[in-house]
Amino acid sequence: MTRTWTTRAAMAVCVLTAGSLAAACGAGGRPDKDEKGGSASDVGITEDTVTVGAHHPLTGVAAPGYSEIPDGARAYFDFVNANGGVDGRKIEYLVRDDGYNPTNTSQVTNELVLKEEIFAMVGGLGTPTHSAVVDFLNKEGVPDLFVSSGSLQWGDDPGAKPFTFGWQPDYEIEGKIAGQWIAENMPDAKVGLFLQDDDLGVDSEKGVRRFLDDQIVAVEKYTSGNTDVAPQIAALQAAGADVVMGFNTPSYTALSQLVALKLNYEPKWFYSSIGSDPALVGSLLARFSEGAVKDSASLLDGVMSTEYIPGVDVPDNPWVQLWQRVWDEHGKEGELTNYRIYGMSHAYAFVQTLQAAGPDPTREGIVDALEQIGSDLEGPPLAPFRYTEDSHLGISGLQLVELKGGVGEELTPVLVTDLGDAPIEEDDSATEDAPPEDGIPDVKPVG
Amino acid sequence: MQQLLNTLLTGLTLGMVYAAFALALVLIWRSTRIINFAQAPMAMITTYVALTVIDADYSYWVGFTAALLSGLVLGAAIERLVIRPVEGKPHINAVILTLGLFIVIHAVAALLFGSRYRSFPAPFGVRGFQVGEVNVALTGFGIFTIGSVVVVMLLLVALFRGTDLGLMMRAAAFNQEVARLLGVRVGRMFTLGWALAALVGSLSGLLIAGGSLVHPSYMDSAVVFGFVAAVLGGLDSPVGAVVGGLVLGVSLSFVSGYVGSELVALAALGILMVVLLLRPGGLFSHATPRRV
Repeated sequence: MTRTWTTRAAMAVCVLTAGSLAAACGAGGRPDKDEKGGSASDVGITEDTVTVGAHHPLTGVAAPGYSEIPDGARAYFDFVNANGGVDGRKIEYLVRDDGYNPTNTSQVTNELVLKEEIFAMVGGLGTPTHSAVVDFLNKEGVPDLFVSSGSLQWGDDPGAKPFTFGWQPDYEIEGKIAGQWIAENMPDAKVGLFLQDDDLGVDSEKGVRRFLDDQIVAVEKYTSGNTDVAPQIAALQAAGADVVMGFNTPSYTALSQLVALKLNYEPKWFYSSIGSDPALVGSLLARFSEGAVKDSASLLDGVMSTEYIPGVDVPDNPWVQLWQRVWDEHGKEGELTNYRIYGMSHAYAFVQTLQAAGPDPTREGIVDALEQIGSDLEGPPLAPFRYTEDSHLGISGLQLVELKGGVGEELTPVLVTDLGDAPIEEDDSATEDAPPEDGIPDVKPVG
Repeated sequence: MQQLLNTLLTGLTLGMVYAAFALALVLIWRSTRIINFAQAPMAMITTYVALTVIDADYSYWVGFTAALLSGLVLGAAIERLVIRPVEGKPHINAVILTLGLFIVIHAVAALLFGSRYRSFPAPFGVRGFQVGEVNVALTGFGIFTIGSVVVVMLLLVALFRGTDLGLMMRAAAFNQEVARLLGVRVGRMFTLGWALAALVGSLSGLLIAGGSLVHPSYMDSAVVFGFVAAVLGGLDSPVGAVVGGLVLGVSLSFVSGYVGSELVALAALGILMVVLLLRPGGLFSHATPRRV
């Protein structure tokens, strides 16, 4: 009798496991495609839809913050769709979770390109993750627009990756601009670098060393996924670094701050824009303030960082007002955050690009269009894009800020530069760009 | 000097956490002769139980107790419902089942608690002590970690060496048929072994989480390093597990601080290989290795 019961229980477990596996594998079906009519101009385009895809870490070590990016992009696409779409087509936005794991990225990208037949990849996130699929996308001829990562490889060699375009200021120019400011304003500082052990660390170190080579006393690297960074921070402390520049993801900003508490280490901190969101890091750290700080955002007071698009700390900015309107009308639950704004900003750029590609967009056509008009696009970024035939790198500059109560106080005007020894110059040409009345760009088709 | 001290002390605290996890593995091994790969997600689930209780405005210690109790119940339930049906079959069946549980519990936790990072409070300060000019990278919570693992180890040694219950558990694990003939309620011993192991596992989960960030896979590195620590110690000995954990934690901390963090996993493997080559049964094994 017992045996029958246990056998049945074992069967039930097997069936349940198999069932959940099948459910997990079978997610997403083939969309009903309407191939009729002359306006199905390329893969992923029908008479009334444009299907685009993206891979994002919705779970795992990089998910805090970054998982909000696709919510923002989706809200903006919904906003555009509700107002008639682009050339009569609605944008269908498919997001797949890769958990910031390159193996998963390959798998979900295959699914997006071969099964869902997307027209373009928009805003695929992460250096290690996107590296795994960038060659595949270029081989298949899938436009790979606005990669959510500051690695140089998305744009410094368009000949090798003709379909890929970067988005945010690359880590090298961010390192250059921050490095120059520290060299000029803190000439006696001993600088320690806290770097993620991939392109993020390599590219930013290259930029920083251009100005701070003599001042750097220690370089410590952490491996993403290993959450014990105490040995690295202890080494920076031992080297006597009194300025620490972190080029890392937001979780590691929180972890490094926690370890610094443990070590009673109080240098001047700089965190790159990708790791410094005060709201997110503050919410992670709030429990540990031991009641000393009420407002979690002020936990990062005095920390230096950079900004290249207006964020939630300037609610009066016309772009932020537009994003707030979009989020109120089409967003999910929760507040508007900087990550959601980031998603909306690249969604805005995609709509501009799609308009520029004309009423019958093709994959080749959208790439040509972006090369031609990319550097003239007016949008939320504080500095212009660098898109031309010779460079697919994204936003050309940023400004240095110091966080106070969750708000970035400007240390510099917007500074623009490019790779290598290109000079760093002030440029306010894009800071005055204002959004159109109806919140939807109106870019004329190219050619 | 200061860096040496800090690296040593952070390694020591970390090692104690691995030791706690290794103790849970040793417990299951001693009482059922299988390796429980689902130990990490089980501990993760109970840590989330604690977090839910604490978020509902109860004190840390209420959450702490709730996690330990739910660990006890979860361990017993899994033994009765999942492992019992394959009892008497080759051990590998049960081991594979625990691997399956690993995946299932992960998925369930992501559904129930979400997969974002959340901070987990610590009952004592997370700021290091300062003695004169020297900073001691040991927090109040670190001392609590070390103390509680030592206490658990002593309790386990006392249980297995000094009580009839411990003897029965070992007998049941070692030879079911003979134990049954001698009047040991083998099934109950297995359930008890799982329940106690899950309780110790929950403790290790709480110790890793305290003063840091949790998410559904925050225990995954502990499963690897805890397993290495347990094997270093011989899989059979609570003292061995703690020594193994300490050796591993301190060595890895030095590798990470002085060589490079990318070599941490490789170093763990290296240590494991060297120990197994020199002493195949682990540092503290008493019996000859059994073939499973």
